[in-house]
Amino acid sequence: MDRRAFLTTLAGTSLAAITPEAVLAASAAANPAWALAVGDIEADLAPRGLRLIHGRAPKGLAGTLYRNGPAKFRRGPGAPAHWFDGDGLVRAFRIGDGKASLAGKFVDTFKRRQDAKFGALVGPGFAATATAGATVRNSDDSNAANTALLPIGGELLALWEQGSPIALDLETLATKGPKTYAPDLAHMPFLAHPRIEPNGRVWNLGVAGHRALVWTLKADGSLEKTGMLELPRASYIHDFTATARSLVIVLQPWIQDKPVQPFAASMSWRPELGTQVLVVDKNDFSKRRLYDLPAFFAFHLGDAWEEADGTIRFDACTEADASFAARGGSQITALKMPDTQVTRLSFITLDADGKGSLEVTALPAEFPKTDPRFAGHGRMKTMVNTVGGGPAKPFLQGVAVSDWRTGKADVFDFGPDHCAEEHLFAPRPGSSRELDGWLVGTSLNLKARATELHVFDASRVSSGPLCSWRADVPLPVGFHGCWV
Amino acid sequence: MFNRSAHALLAACLLTAIAVVNAPHAEAQEPGEVSVTFSGITAPKGALFVGLYDSEAAFAGGQPAQGYQLAVTGPSVATAIKGLKPGRYAIKVYHDIDGDGRMNTNAFGIPTEPYAASNNAPSTMGPPAWADAVFEVGADGATQTIGID
Repeated sequence: MDRRAFLTTLAGTSLAAITPEAVLAASAAANPAWALAVGDIEADLAPRGLRLIHGRAPKGLAGTLYRNGPAKFRRGPGAPAHWFDGDGLVRAFRIGDGKASLAGKFVDTFKRRQDAKFGALVGPGFAATATAGATVRNSDDSNAANTALLPIGGELLALWEQGSPIALDLETLATKGPKTYAPDLAHMPFLAHPRIEPNGRVWNLGVAGHRALVWTLKADGSLEKTGMLELPRASYIHDFTATARSLVIVLQPWIQDKPVQPFAASMSWRPELGTQVLVVDKNDFSKRRLYDLPAFFAFHLGDAWEEADGTIRFDACTEADASFAARGGSQITALKMPDTQVTRLSFITLDADGKGSLEVTALPAEFPKTDPRFAGHGRMKTMVNTVGGGPAKPFLQGVAVSDWRTGKADVFDFGPDHCAEEHLFAPRPGSSRELDGWLVGTSLNLKARATELHVFDASRVSSGPLCSWRADVPLPVGFHGCWV
Repeated sequence: MFNRSAHALLAACLLTAIAVVNAPHAEAQEPGEVSVTFSGITAPKGALFVGLYDSEAAFAGGQPAQGYQLAVTGPSVATAIKGLKPGRYAIKVYHDIDGDGRMNTNAFGIPTEPYAASNNAPSTMGPPAWADAVFEVGADGATQTIGID
C-alpha cells in the first residue's frame, strides 16, 4: 500500500468516526469511576508539600515511604499495557517534623526510552509481544522496573521480576542503571520480593522455567553468593518466603508449558496438579522437602517461621485460579472489570512429617506485610489491604492488621471512594514489641482526585488514621514499597 | 519476557560468530571496500570478533565469508574490508570484553557481552535478521557505522 492509499483508507474509516462528541460519549460510557487508578502520569513529579487534612503526625515518626508502581500504560494507537507492564514511577513520601512531602520520578529504563522513541509500546512484557524492529537483546531491554523497591548499600533498587535490579539515588531518585553483581550475572532475573533476614542479609530468586538462581546479598548490598536450584515444575513464581533456616517456594499450578510469546500465553492453569511447596535448606540445597496442597494461586506471601518441631507456618493471599494474572491485568488498564476472584488471607502449615494444610479465611486481603524485625521468626500479625474488591471496583479500599493468635482482624475502611495501597510498618523508637508503632501507607481518593498518605497506630487500626495528608495529584495505584 | 527457547536460539545463532577468525578469506575478484566503524564501546578492552556474510543462510548460522579479530582500546574501532565482489553482505559482531575468545552468556543463556549487526539491525528477542542487516557493496564500496554497547 502506498502512502496515498494508506491515508485515503485512514480518512475513509477510523478518522471519520472520531468526532469530539463521539470521543466524549465513548469516554463517559467506558470510563468507570476507578479509571484514575490505572491512569497515565506524563512527567516526573517535582518535590511538593502535602496538605494535612486530618489529625496530627505522631511524635517520633520520621522517615520516607518509597513506593513503586506502573504509571504509564498508553502510547500510540494500540491497546494499553497490561497492568504489570507500565513504566515504573518511584514515589518518595517524606515525613518529618509533622510535615510530609512527595516527589516522584520514572525509572529511566531502556524500555521507557525505546517506547518513547517509537511513540508506541514496542517491547515484550507480561502480556505483550515485541514489535518487529524493537531492540530486545536481553531481559533488561524490557525491564519496566515497576514492582518493588529494596533499599540497600546506600541505594534504592527498583525491582522487576525477569531482569536486573535498577539502582536509583535515594535522595534524588535519579536512575544510576542496572545492577550487575558479576559479569556472568548480567541480565539475570531478580524477583521483586526478596526476603530480608533481621540482620539485613537478603535472599532472592531469579526464575526461568525449571531453574531458579538463588541470590544471597550481604547487608551492605554486596553479593555474598549465588547457587542454582532445580525446581520440580515451571511454575509462575512472583514471590517466595523464608524461615531463618529454609527457603519456602510455592509452586502453583500456573505452569509454563508452551514456547510462545507473550509470557502470559506460555502458561497453563493446571488445577489437577495441585499446588506444591518446596522447602530448601538455605545452607544445603540438596536438603529439600516437597509438600502437596490443594490448587490455589497467590501473588504474595507473608514471612514464614519454623517451630521447634520443624513445623513451618506462613500466610498467603490466595485466590482460586490464575485468571487475574492471565487476563485481569489487561482488562483493568482497558478500564474493564477484570475476570478475577476475591483474594483472601490464608494460612499454610507444613508439618515436619510431610503433610501440608491450607486454611482460607473470610478476610479479603492483598499486599501482606509483616514487622520486618521478625522476618523468619515466630510472629502473629499481618498487615493487609482489605474490604471491597467487588463488582463496583476491582481494588480493595481498607487496611487491616490480622492476628493469627486471636483470629481477629482490626479493620479500617476508607470507603468506596478510595483505592487502598500497601501499608508498611514503622517501629516506635525504643520498642522491640511486634508491630508496636505505626502503619504508613497511601490510598487514591477517587472523589478528591488525589493520592493521600496515612499514618495509623498499628494497635488501633479501626480507630482510623492518626493523620492524613493529601497530594495535589492523583497517582495510579502502585504495588510495593519500603520504609526507610 | 524471555522464555527458554528464545534464550537457546539467541545464543546458538550468535555463537557461530566465534568461528570467524579461522574462516578462509575470500579471494578478491574486483575491488570493493566497506569502511566499518564500530562505535559506542563502553569497555575499552578485549577484541571485536567480526563476521562478514554473503548469504542469508550463512548469516543465520553458517560460516562467514571473512572474519576479523580487532583489538579494542577505546570507544570506537574502525576498519576497512577490501577486495569485495559487488553484492549483498551483512556483518555480525560481538565484543569479547574478557578476552576469552567466547561470546559469554549468563546461566540462562542470555548474552552478557555486547553484540550488533550491520545497519544496526535490531535484535528482537533473537538474533538480528538478514533482511534488516543486509547492505549492497557496489563499485564505490559501502560505509557502515555499527553501534555496539
